[in-house]
Amino acid sequence: MLSIFKSIPTHMDYKGQKLAEQIFQGIILISAVIGFVYGLIIEQFGWTVYIVLGGFAISCVLTLPPWPMYRQNPLAWQPALPETSGEPSQKPQESLKKKKHK
Amino acid sequence: MNTVLSRANSLFAFSLSVMAALTFGCFITTAFKDRRVPVDIHVAKVMLKNVDDFTGPRERSDLGFITFDLSPIFDWNVKQLFLYLSAEYATKSNALNQVVLWDKIVLRGENTKLNLRDMKSKYFFFDDGNGLRANKNITMTLSWNVVPNAGILPLVAGSGHVSLPFPDTYETTKSY
Repeated sequence: MLSIFKSIPTHMDYKGQKLAEQIFQGIILISAVIGFVYGLIIEQFGWTVYIVLGGFAISCVLTLPPWPMYRQNPLAWQPALPETSGEPSQKPQESLKKKKHK
Repeated sequence: MNTVLSRANSLFAFSLSVMAALTFGCFITTAFKDRRVPVDIHVAKVMLKNVDDFTGPRERSDLGFITFDLSPIFDWNVKQLFLYLSAEYATKSNALNQVVLWDKIVLRGENTKLNLRDMKSKYFFFDDGNGLRANKNITMTLSWNVVPNAGILPLVAGSGHVSLPFPDTYETTKSY
């Protein structure tokens, strides 16, 4: 069951993470300002809370799933090196030596 | 920020911080407001009795009518008002006596222009001695407690009170 969840790709690249953070902070701050002014005008603090919750929901939809816009700058990894034949042969030798010392 | 859970965590924490800041702003915008309101109280009839099974005279005053407009008190930081009418008087044994005679809760959204007529006192008005008879100065004051969404719980006395003398004799007729 867990492996199914882990197989869903959720990562963003670094610039995407920065963008997502700026987006949700901007949305929540703007909704907070709108809600505060609206609540102050109609004298109901409940509407302020509702508007901030609405901003929370919008930013959840916008930044929680890894939308393609957060994946436009993938890291440039080195190309995979072909496996050298030397390393795997050395390791069994070391283990053999340890066994001999015992 | 690279998994859904870490993003949800930072989003939730940031929203809560913003909400706390907004609540503080709501408190600041209403903290220094004057919540006093003119009140008009008239007392119609005062009955004074000496009751056997309790140890003092009893008074049941018919509060003639009370008019006040509470709408200036209500703003976005007020959930409810607790109004109470208290009587203040001095006796020989106590310099200051305060007795609550009547109270009312006004919730947000209810009619705030109250015009109450022929109200009876809700609670018995007992003195702990015989200090009510022939007491010449009993002051009725309407006060209220403002219950806010956030911030302090102010106790406000309405401007406008009525002082009245009490009769010299006890009632003898049975009225109930």
